Amino acid sequence: NIDPASLLPKLPRPEELKPFPTVCSVLYRHKERVRSLAIDPSGIFLATGGDDGIVRVFEVTTARQVWHSKIGDEEAVNVVRWRPGRDATILAAAAGEDIFLMVPDIVDIETEQASLDLLDAGFGYATNTVQALTANGARKDPVAKWTRPGTRLEADGVLIKITVRSTVKVITWHRRGDFFSTVAPTAQKSAVAIHTLSKHLTQIPFRRLPGIAQTVQFHPSRPLFFVATQRTIRSYDLQKQELIKIIQPGARYISSFDIHPGGDNIIVGSYDRRLLWHDLDLSTRPYKTMRFHSKAIRAVKYHKGGFPLFADASDDGSLQIFHGKVVSDLMENATIVPVKVLKGHKVKSALGVMDIDWHYKEPWVSSAGADGTCRLWM
Amino acid sequence: METFISEPAVRQVQVQFFTNSPDIALPEEKQQLIVPTNIGRSGLSQILNSDSMLATPNIVPFQFLINSSFLRTTLEEYLSASGFSTETQIRLEYVRSFIPPIYEASFEHDDWVSSINVLSAHSLSGRDALKFAPGQERILSGSYDGLLRIWNKSGQIIATSPMAGDGGHTQGVKAAKFMSQNKIASAGMDRTIRIWQYTESEDGFSGKLKPKLELYGHKQYIYSLAVHGPSNRILSASGDDKIGVWTTNEASAPEAPSSLLPSSIRSKRRKSTASVSTLQRGPLSLISAHTAPVQGVIFKPDDPTVAYSCSQDHTIRSFDLTTSTLVDTRTTSHPLFSITALPGVSNQLLAAGTSARHITLLDPRMSASTTQAMTLRGHTNLITSLAPDPDSRYGLVSASNDGTCRVWDLRSTRQGTKEEGSGPVGEAMYIIERNSQNGAKRPVGGEGIKVFSVAWDKDVGIVSGGEDKMLQINRGKGVTSIAT
Ligand SMILES: [Mg+2]
Repeated sequence: NIDPASLLPKLPRPEELKPFPTVCSVLYRHKERVRSLAIDPSGIFLATGGDDGIVRVFEVTTARQVWHSKIGDEEAVNVVRWRPGRDATILAAAAGEDIFLMVPDIVDIETEQASLDLLDAGFGYATNTVQALTANGARKDPVAKWTRPGTRLEADGVLIKITVRSTVKVITWHRRGDFFSTVAPTAQKSAVAIHTLSKHLTQIPFRRLPGIAQTVQFHPSRPLFFVATQRTIRSYDLQKQELIKIIQPGARYISSFDIHPGGDNIIVGSYDRRLLWHDLDLSTRPYKTMRFHSKAIRAVKYHKGGFPLFADASDDGSLQIFHGKVVSDLMENATIVPVKVLKGHKVKSALGVMDIDWHYKEPWVSSAGADGTCRLWM
Repeated sequence: METFISEPAVRQVQVQFFTNSPDIALPEEKQQLIVPTNIGRSGLSQILNSDSMLATPNIVPFQFLINSSFLRTTLEEYLSASGFSTETQIRLEYVRSFIPPIYEASFEHDDWVSSINVLSAHSLSGRDALKFAPGQERILSGSYDGLLRIWNKSGQIIATSPMAGDGGHTQGVKAAKFMSQNKIASAGMDRTIRIWQYTESEDGFSGKLKPKLELYGHKQYIYSLAVHGPSNRILSASGDDKIGVWTTNEASAPEAPSSLLPSSIRSKRRKSTASVSTLQRGPLSLISAHTAPVQGVIFKPDDPTVAYSCSQDHTIRSFDLTTSTLVDTRTTSHPLFSITALPGVSNQLLAAGTSARHITLLDPRMSASTTQAMTLRGHTNLITSLAPDPDSRYGLVSASNDGTCRVWDLRSTRQGTKEEGSGPVGEAMYIIERNSQNGAKRPVGGEGIKVFSVAWDKDVGIVSGGEDKMLQINRGKGVTSIAT
């Protein structure tokens, strides 16, 4: 008679896996639902956006609001994402069909000038005026228009407006900071766009997707691009323009995914409450499926600064922190240990935590809540 | 049934009293005494106060230390716990009891209070201190509204710094210090350090802050300043990961880096509208040693050619300022947000406040293998500011995002658990809440009550400021001197 539990590998206790975030240390307040947030590459600032149409920047440790601009007149800010790198300070945000690029007033004059130069360089390219012809020879509307957003926003430091055809829900930067991709799920054929900052150029790489696009990611080191539809994630080689792999998490409705900084593992979150870990070396099916949340998972994110941590956020109002160490052995899977449930956000209109982001180096995670607060957990 | 309970015989033990405070020292012939072992702190304190001993006009409550640890039990319990017999003589160090810092006053600001500095005879050095008239103490506060304010102890504003257009800071102030009675340095979110000439009217009820110098070089917020008045030197700690070394002597200060001056930007929003033009200068040097924001920098108390800094990169670093070189690096386990020296402690201790809710004590002169001397635990959030106790070599006060200041005595320790990383652990002697809270429960994340700065002056008391827009004064009442 063998107790089957005794055959399972013994997981380390959470206390042995410190450090990981355990308490809410800073609270940032909005007036309405917060949909997105991002900590800047220096770790000093937190950008947020939400239903009030305002992009805000807070000082991380004091919760002091240091900058804001109202970019959405009637529309919510759906996403805010900092351009990677510390040579310039540029924030991208989307409200409705408009994507804005801005230089918040939080930098020195030298860095501000470098950032303005990066944003303006593309005005030298006349790509806006080139219009593709449709099959019957009619001029097509350009997929995106790059313009100045007007004097009020320009005075705030919001300097570029890119208008696409449908509401933008996702912005993802390439690590080098010249490309970023956006997803407008309802735009059908032009749902996924890739924008080149230095040329003010917008391209539509996929005319045909097997479902409604949900979110996208650039591979952290190789020229690969991942596109999630409701049920699958496809990886493409951007240079060769070919499909590499179809990942099938087995979830009914993917909300989010993230690629491990090592590049060979991904986590996937789904509206049907599943959290899945895929080892891309091993299989297109998940190595581990977890169902800890009682409501939809909206965001998943790996720590990118050296800690083997990842987190998910759910409409049940909680974040869950996991320890997941990826080993170099190709045949061995990561050991995944749930280490902490972070509670504090209130559920409002059936929505809980809408976005999360890790500090670039410390084991601190920030969360955006439908309750109108953002929180930093240390 | 009849029981016989024998009264245990009261044993006696010989004690030797000693103190490091000359004003409460006993004459030599009174230092040795035989006392019953069933007494503790209060009994021993009564003995010391009695006519045959110190003959104090007003009762002075004392605490007692055996082997540098506070006596918390009776002598009998101490002896049996430590396995000593009554044959041994006990050396009893006595110190004034800690007097709780009672709330005294709050001075209201228009915005968050980021920094506090006190000018008094005890905060000045040398000639300046001798010239200082008692009762003329001043409190300098820096605020997120970009203004400096100088207060007297009754809460009257003697002077306010000019607005942005008139030579003032263009964004929030994060640090402000008196360099002398007539000179102030301030810095903050506009990345400049500004030097001010401070003058007061004859009656001391009004004063003027005149901009003298603007110092450019940092590329991110300046979190902290250290000043050394006699040599006109300033150190700055910034979010650009650098430490600035500056002089306020405009003749010897290098030119300001032109690319950082407001006039160099093509941006619309930074059009300068200043009506006042102040001299602009650059740094003597910018030291790049840290790899994350530098949160604090101080001069070594007895040697202004040495500096210590703390950073979010987890390190405390020592610098030789004559050559601007890094001399020593101590790596801790957590981001560090505040630093102070404890000059009274014989081993030249430094204290650093962490994001992990504790204060780390370390000796920069000892070998790297014995980095950590002690840990002070109890805060529930990041520690923003630290200041030494002006009356005790072993005391300090800390301020935290948890909305409290806490007062610590390094002699009040216990052995740490394994979880705490072993080593001695200190717990707070006293917790100062925000008076603005009216006793309400502290909010999550310290929202609305974070304390950003604390100063401790012998004459004024513990002065703290924070997100509640209040400068708050707490003071131990009834400190009586034997000599008077
Ligand atoms: Mg593997």
